[in-house]
Amino acid sequence: MIDVLQIAGAHHRYGALTALDSVDMTVRAGECVALLGPNGAGKTTLVGLATGLLAPQSGQVRVCGGDPRRAATRRHLGVVQQSMGFPRTLTVAELVRGAAVRAGRPATAAGPVLAEVGITDLQRRRAGKLSGGQQQRVALAMALVGDPTLLLLDEPTVGLDITSRRAFWRTIAARRDAGAGILLTTHIVEEAAAVADRVVVLHRGHVVAADTPAGLTARLPDRTIVARTGVADSVLRTLPGVLSVTTDGDRVQVATAAPEDVLRRWLVLDEQLTDLRVEGAGLEQALLALTGDATSGDNTTGNNTTGDKVEVRA
Amino acid sequence: MTAIETGPTSPLAPGLRVLGVEVADGVRAILREPTALFFSVLFPVMFFALFASLFGNQPSASGLPTAATMLATFGTFGVVSVMLLSPGVAVAEDRTSGWLRVKKVSAAPIGTTIAAKVISALPYALAVVLAISGVSLLVAGPVLDLGTWLRLVGVLLLGGLPFTLLGLAVGFVASSNATAAVLNAVYLPMVVASGLWFPLDMMPGFVQALAPFLPTYHLAQLALAQLTGADALGNLLALLLTTAISAVLAGWAYRNLRV
Ligand SMILES: Nc1ncnc2c1ncn2[C@@H]1O[C@H](COP(=O)(O)OP(=O)(O)OP(=O)(O)O)[C@@H](O)[C@H]1O
Ligand SMILES: [Mg+2]
Repeated sequence: MIDVLQIAGAHHRYGALTALDSVDMTVRAGECVALLGPNGAGKTTLVGLATGLLAPQSGQVRVCGGDPRRAATRRHLGVVQQSMGFPRTLTVAELVRGAAVRAGRPATAAGPVLAEVGITDLQRRRAGKLSGGQQQRVALAMALVGDPTLLLLDEPTVGLDITSRRAFWRTIAARRDAGAGILLTTHIVEEAAAVADRVVVLHRGHVVAADTPAGLTARLPDRTIVARTGVADSVLRTLPGVLSVTTDGDRVQVATAAPEDVLRRWLVLDEQLTDLRVEGAGLEQALLALTGDATSGDNTTGNNTTGDKVEVRA
Repeated sequence: MTAIETGPTSPLAPGLRVLGVEVADGVRAILREPTALFFSVLFPVMFFALFASLFGNQPSASGLPTAATMLATFGTFGVVSVMLLSPGVAVAEDRTSGWLRVKKVSAAPIGTTIAAKVISALPYALAVVLAISGVSLLVAGPVLDLGTWLRLVGVLLLGGLPFTLLGLAVGFVASSNATAAVLNAVYLPMVVASGLWFPLDMMPGFVQALAPFLPTYHLAQLALAQLTGADALGNLLALLLTTAISAVLAGWAYRNLRV
C-alpha cells in the first residue's frame, strides 16, 4: 500500500507554545484514519501541516511523496478546514465548480459531486446564507470534486444532523473503498470508530496512541460495574477478577474483565445492593483514559491517565 | 490513485481557466454586492456632473474647455478610487473571513486569486471613465477627439497600477474594515491636494507646494498631458518610482500574508 500522507518527527510551535511535538504518522491509500483528541490537542495544526498551510519547524511532511507547500503536490488533496468563511456573493454550484477548476478538473465535475453529497437542491443558493450543516456539506463537496488521493477533513461532522451524518460516513467509506486515503478529525468518537480503519490519538501535541478502534478499546477492562453497596472497598478489591475499585459519591465502580463472576460473589456478600449498572467500555472511554480528561477523577481503568505514550504504531 | 497519472495536458491552460473562474467570481462579487463600490463609482460621476454643468464650457488655464481638463482630473479621481480600494479590500475580506485559506490549500497558486481581484476591478474603473465621458458629452458636447480620448483612458487605467499595489499592500496585512478606513484616510486628502476636485491654482500655497509629492498629482498631470501635448516625462518617472515603491511594499506584505 502507498503512503499518501507521511509525517515524520514533525514539530510545530506557535511562539512559545508547542502545538506538535515530534509527531509521526501515516495514512495509506484506501485507509481511513480518525485523528482524535481533546480541544487544543493539535489536530488542526497537524492538518495544517498536511495541507501545506503551515510548515513544520522540524521534521518532514509528504503528501503522495511531495511537499504540500508546492501547489503541484496539492493537486492530490481535498480539504475541509475547520473554519472557512464562505463568500456571501457566490452560489453553491459556483463554489463547487470553482473548486473543480482549481483542482484541475472540468467544471462539469461539480454536478455528480453535488448529488453525491446530497446538495443538488441547494445549488442555486448563496453559500454564505446556508445553515451551518448545509455549509459543511458544501465544504465536503468542494473537497471531493477534485477526486483527491488524500482527503483531509477537519471536523467535517460539525453541525450535521443525524441523517446527514449517516450520509457523510457512507460517502467517506465509499471514497475510501475507491482507494482514497482519508484523515479526519471529529469529536463524535463512536461514529468515527465505526468507519475508521485506524485511530490516532493526539494529546498535548503528542501521539499517545495509534491503533485500530478495536485495539484501543481492548486495552480497557471490558466492563465497569456501578452500584450502591454496603460492602467495603477493601473487601471488593479481594474478589477474584476485580481490576480496580473507586467510589463516586455513594456509588462504587468496579472495573473487571469478568463482570458475571464478580457480580455472583458480590450479590452474595450484599443482599441490599441497589442501582446496579454494568457499562461497556467504548472508544470514548478509551480516549478519556488516554488523554486523562476523564470526568469525576475516574481512574478505574488503572490504565494510563497521564497522557504518556502507550504504544505507537503510526 | 488515478489522480496522480492524469496530469494537465498543457501547463498554461489550467492556470488560465483558474484565472477565468476567479475573475468571474470577482465580477460577481462586485455586481451582487455593489454597495462596496457604490461610492467609488457614484462620487466621481456626480461631482463631475455638477462641476461640468457649471463650468464645463468655460476655457481652462490651458485653453482647453474645462470639461476636457476635468475628464483628466475626475478620471484620475474615479479610476484611482476603484483601483486603490477594490482589490485591496476584497483581499482583506477574503483573508478576514478565512476564505483565502481555502484558496491557499488548493492546487491553484494564490497569486492567481490576487491577480483576479485586480482584473475584475478594471471593468468598474472603465465604467467610471465611460460614465463621466458620457456626462461630459451631454453637458459640453464633444471636447476631445477619439484618439486623444482613447489615450487618456489607457493612461488612466495603466496609471491605476501603483495604487492597486498600494491597496493590496494594506489589504494583505490589515482587516477589511481597517483596509478601507486606512486607504480612504490617505486617499481623500490626496485627491484634494492633487487638484483633482478643484484646480490647483485655486488652492493655498502650501497645498500647491505639496502636490508634486503626491502620486495622484502626477497621474492627473500625465493624463492632462495627453490633452495638451505638454512634456510629462517627470510625471511618468514619478509614477514609475511610485510603482516600484508600492511593488516593494506589496511584496513585503505578501510575504507576511497571514491567511
Ligand atoms: N494561530 C495560532 N496561534 C497561536 N496558538 C495557536 C494557533 N492555533 C492554534 N494554537 C494553539 O495550538 C494548540 C493546538 O491547537 P489546534 O487548533 O491544533 O487544536 P485542535 O486539536 O484542533 O483543537 P479543537 O478540537 O478545539 O479544534 C492549542 O493550544 C491552540 O491554542
Ligand atoms: Mg481543531
